Amino acid sequence: MPKFDIPAKIVEQTQLAHGIFLLTVEAPAIQNSANPGQFCMLEVKYNNSRDPMLRRPLSIYKTRTNGQISFLYKEVGKGTRLLSKRRPGEIVRVLGPLGQGFRLIHDRPCILVGGGLGIAPLLLPAERINQSGKLIILIGAGNVSEIPTIEDFSRLTRHFHIATEDGSLGQRGMVTDLLAQTLQEITGMAQIYTCGPWPMMKAVYHMACKKNIPCQVSLEATMACGIGLCLGCAVPKSDSREFLHVCKEGPVFDADQVNWEYTQ
Amino acid sequence: MIHQKNPITKSPNHQITKSPNLSIKIGSLVLKNPVLLASGTCGYGTELDGLLDLDQVGGIIIKGISSSPRPGNPPPRLVETPCGLLNSIGLENVGIESFLKDKLPWLRDVKTSLIVNILGNSVEEYSEIAKKLDGAKGVKAIEVNISCPNVKAGGIAFGTDPEAAANVTRAVKKATGLPVIIKLTPNVTDITEVARKVASAGADAVSLINTLLGMAIDIKSRRPALANVFGGLSGPAIKPIALRMVWQVVRAVDIPVIGIGGISTPDDALEFLMAGARAVEIGTATLIRPSTAGDVLAGIKNYMETNSIQNIEDLRLPE
Ligand SMILES: Cc1cc2nc3c(=O)[nH]c(=O)nc-3n(C[C@H](O)[C@H](O)[C@H](O)COP(=O)(O)OP(=O)(O)OC[C@H]3O[C@@H](n4cnc5c(N)ncnc54)[C@H](O)[C@@H]3O)c2cc1C
Ligand SMILES: Cc1cc2nc3c(=O)[nH]c(=O)nc-3n(C[C@H](O)[C@H](O)[C@H](O)COP(=O)(O)O)c2cc1C
Ligand code: FES
Repeated sequence: MPKFDIPAKIVEQTQLAHGIFLLTVEAPAIQNSANPGQFCMLEVKYNNSRDPMLRRPLSIYKTRTNGQISFLYKEVGKGTRLLSKRRPGEIVRVLGPLGQGFRLIHDRPCILVGGGLGIAPLLLPAERINQSGKLIILIGAGNVSEIPTIEDFSRLTRHFHIATEDGSLGQRGMVTDLLAQTLQEITGMAQIYTCGPWPMMKAVYHMACKKNIPCQVSLEATMACGIGLCLGCAVPKSDSREFLHVCKEGPVFDADQVNWEYTQ
Repeated sequence: MIHQKNPITKSPNHQITKSPNLSIKIGSLVLKNPVLLASGTCGYGTELDGLLDLDQVGGIIIKGISSSPRPGNPPPRLVETPCGLLNSIGLENVGIESFLKDKLPWLRDVKTSLIVNILGNSVEEYSEIAKKLDGAKGVKAIEVNISCPNVKAGGIAFGTDPEAAANVTRAVKKATGLPVIIKLTPNVTDITEVARKVASAGADAVSLINTLLGMAIDIKSRRPALANVFGGLSGPAIKPIALRMVWQVVRAVDIPVIGIGGISTPDDALEFLMAGARAVEIGTATLIRPSTAGDVLAGIKNYMETNSIQNIEDLRLPE
């Protein structure tokens, strides 16, 4: 699959909530070939500054047919802080589209389970699935302010449910509570796609196992290159002492490939 | 027509200038230019397809290969430090058999010199891999990573023991007719001592430096940032140390020296060439920008043209 490393012009940088940003850039080559669940590596440093030097991985949140792609990201450290200071008109280097995205299955109800900003890689698959079959979206967060873009999801399906730990929106509780309710109602085959914090994905996977429902997970790992050069982005495999490489074989995996007992 | 190696070209100001000769020699191996891709930062080559024209670089040095596949270390394997990268990949690789069967065929079509980096935990392992590479079509040279623990000597790295380093060199030279580059570790008191020993043991060249042993602690989780606790430091942070060591080794041995460590720009590479390095390897910088080697090469060429320098060796500073 072709990859592009392009100096992309920023067309939008919007702060949606405290520490949460939507960045839109012009990257027609990437937009053209991006699949749902793929990501990009963004250069966050200014000009020839060497600190921080590594690019940061961000999921492709949205694509538009006019060649624009958007990233939904949270400021958590130096790199994302620098990125958030960039303004429209400036150039940011973007390498993508990278990795293996979701394998979309259309012959059964699909359940998307997102936790916090783990919703970022789920919008593109949601839009695709929505065109062809039954789509159930479950989103969880600590507080409503952590998920400022839920309208992008809620407008896609009637089967949209939300849970917040403080009850500021939707049901009070965890997204796994919503999943438990949904799974009770499911009788036939289904497919789960999930992204969020590790403990959430682990819980989702275990619930899926009990119902024999296949589950695809989008994982994160510290990355240096994002294209399989450094072998840094390892996650333990379930069936051997070997490792999966998130940037190349992932970020989306069948959940049963992953050793969920491993804690870093 | 007479084949001209260095065609006469007209520069914009109509002066007649000879375009610089970028080719260099490492033992019997002629490289078309001095910019190589460092082991462990260019995968098995295929990963860079479409992002860097591999035909353009002087050589590509494959990720360290062992006699059987190695799974590598548990994660986290990476942590960024100021102007540096700490890694503890743990020498994950597919092993020599799979390399020859699955990776080498693709690499044969690339029009650059293919150098294979090898590693081992015993002198026998090094020589076994070297033997297997000896007849492998397409392989032009071997780079020997001696920063690996010597199991028989209680895990002390070969590269930190001048005698052990010389033993590995002799064994590999005996096992293959290919040019042998010994890659030195900086984690020693006197790198020139190891360099001298491997040179007299028959090394065709030395390359340096491998990563510097370091660590980082995550004060939030109150744990070492790497699962392996220690890792190897690379990137711009190590460049001054690498440059100093290259300068020293160039003046200590008569074989070619390949400079490695934090090279991200043409200026960085020129510093190493001025210190007397015959060639340079680009490591961490490729991870950040895959096209770096091409930019470095263009910058070196441009500098040589601007300053009317004809050969790479002429860049070396006078004593
Ligand atoms: C494939 C992939 C897709 C991603 N998509 C998105 C996205 O769409 N939106 C988004 O906001 N983030 C996403 N991330 C996470 C994002 O890459 C990190 O938050 C970012 O690299 C942190 O950089 P920093 O310099 O700001 O923080 P650092 O200074 O590097 O770290 C600050 C803190 O964040 C933690 N951190 C660093 N990297 C990660 C990580 N990969 N995951 C979780 N915590 C981390 C560190 O442990 C540290 O506590 C993705 C990660 C991957 C691997
Ligand atoms: C992720 C990573 C993996 C590496 N793997 C190897 C390896 O397998 N064998 C080896 O000899 N050196 C390896 N190195 C060392 C580099 O080849 C190089 O010597 C070192 O990184 C210093 O150069 P740099 O600062 O340009 O990266 C690795 C370095 C990095 C960052
Ligand atoms: S980040 Fe380098 S191999 Fe995945």
